[in-house]
Amino acid sequence: MLLNYNQLGSLKYVLLGITGVICLFLLLPVIFIILLSFGSSQWMIFPPPGWTLRWYGELFDDPRWFEAAFTSFKLGLMVTVLSVILGFFASYALIRGRFAGRGFLRALFMTPMVMPVVVVAVALYAMFLRVGLSGTWLGFVIAHTILAFPFAVIAISNSLERFDKAIEDAAILCGASHLEAIWRITLPSIRLGILSAALFSFLASWDEVVVAIFMASPTLQTLPVRIWGALRQDLTPVIAAASSLLVILTLVLMAIAASLQKVLNR
Amino acid sequence: MTSSFLSIRNLRKSYGEVVAVDGVSLEIPRGEFLTFLGPSGSGKSTTLYAVAGFDEITSGDILLEDRSILGVPPNRRNIGMVFQRYTLFPHLTVAENVAFPLRVRGQDRTTVKKRVDEMLALVRLSNFADRMPAQLSGGQQQRVALARALAYDPPVLLMDEPLSALDKKLRDEIQIEIRRIHQETGVTILYVTHDQEEALRLSDRIAVFNHGRIEQIGTGEDLYTKPATRFVAEFIGDSNFFEVATVASQSDGRARATLPDGTVMDGLVTHRATSRSERFELMVRPQWLSVVNEGGKGIRVTVNDVTYLGDSSSALLETSWGQAIWLKGPAAALRGLTAGQTVMVGWDFAKSELFEI
Repeated sequence: MLLNYNQLGSLKYVLLGITGVICLFLLLPVIFIILLSFGSSQWMIFPPPGWTLRWYGELFDDPRWFEAAFTSFKLGLMVTVLSVILGFFASYALIRGRFAGRGFLRALFMTPMVMPVVVVAVALYAMFLRVGLSGTWLGFVIAHTILAFPFAVIAISNSLERFDKAIEDAAILCGASHLEAIWRITLPSIRLGILSAALFSFLASWDEVVVAIFMASPTLQTLPVRIWGALRQDLTPVIAAASSLLVILTLVLMAIAASLQKVLNR
Repeated sequence: MTSSFLSIRNLRKSYGEVVAVDGVSLEIPRGEFLTFLGPSGSGKSTTLYAVAGFDEITSGDILLEDRSILGVPPNRRNIGMVFQRYTLFPHLTVAENVAFPLRVRGQDRTTVKKRVDEMLALVRLSNFADRMPAQLSGGQQQRVALARALAYDPPVLLMDEPLSALDKKLRDEIQIEIRRIHQETGVTILYVTHDQEEALRLSDRIAVFNHGRIEQIGTGEDLYTKPATRFVAEFIGDSNFFEVATVASQSDGRARATLPDGTVMDGLVTHRATSRSERFELMVRPQWLSVVNEGGKGIRVTVNDVTYLGDSSSALLETSWGQAIWLKGPAAALRGLTAGQTVMVGWDFAKSELFEI
């Protein structure tokens, strides 16, 4: 190999150093916010003068925070289910279909990912206002599904591409109908792709704030919207506590997905 | 019309302008092992897939026991198939793979279990029932695929180059297995390959495909000893082709021809194609050639190279008009040949055949 890590000599330590700095740069804000959430200072002074669980107490005492978190979770689940189902059908058409304009369709499916989020948000807001979807659950689900959809298509079409069509054909010759073959053979075989599609779809909705701000109403708020709102009203360490929980739940999800992947991979 | 077990009638399949299968007709009796042999793109796989039912055919008919199966979707045709690529269901064990077609047919647990055991015993993989496909070698995977394809007792088994991904030694082993399984089950097999040795070893009959048509169909011996066309002569076995200058018919239906160096040969077998070409080639198998005495009947050649192959030897020769040809014979007979030497080689003219090109 051209670049063999073990033969790099002292350059090895330079590389290690650069990697460490990058990791630190990525993790520092997260570590910072978690430390602050345990700090005793009302004004989020760093380093914290003392340690306390007070902000977590306040967080759990305020039902609005719990409500927002629950809304986020419920929304995330609905978006996940929709996005995975739609993503599978779209991927199946893209990978197995033989029709003109497939490349164009694929690019079209990716647009929510590459388009500036604020543009998507304003566009959806303007349209939803007109059709009466703004501030509703349905509007929220549709908006976040649009954002999550490209992630599902990428994950599922990648695994579908690697899954040999001949295996599906074999199932059909064995006597299974096309749908039966997809359900009993193709879907279980690409479950890792489905799993990562679900994970990415959930996270796309769970930590999304821009579109959510446009979709939210005073009675329907997701956790990131609530954090954003609280930030603008008063800067309290409760926000740091809420953010920490958001981060931790995300980490837990990733960990579950990683271990599931290991189990499924056998 | 005489009724055979499986009948393919004037099958055509075109993809736009490209004609993949151009009027293939075959009558296949029950229990036959028929191989489709041909280069890639000759239409052999397309014909096989037409029997499987995956692609709509352009015209023609396919009958199984006198009933057309064209209107039957592939999952209702009850046909077994082993593919070129590994197609075991990756998330199911070996036993579950073999059980799949039976479960789809709604058979009860004990029947399925019994049949799976029988099938795994047939392919000698009983000890592997609980393995996952990824834990098997390529040869084992294809044997499981064979067990799965035979589990539901299909009237016809299709095999699309099932051994092409395996190495030579494994291929030989599994060929013997396939032969045995064919004899034990009596299933009718259509087998696609581009490997003539594999075809000769396995088949009752071979259909040689070229450009979407069948050039000739017959036993391996028929094809080798009585090739109908130059293509078959070249594809089955080794051969030398001499372009011959003039051809004249003789009264006994045989022909007289002249080689480029002026050697005249009598009593040649001719194969006239439909086109009235004026160019002919003479086919001589390398093992028909032998070194003859100076002044004997034959042509003068220069020895370029001699290769010792154990039980035989082969020599690369050059004719006086610059064509490279092969001679093959017992090692002892070729021992005297050395590179650079000029010798006379001859053959039984009555054996060699003329093909129109």
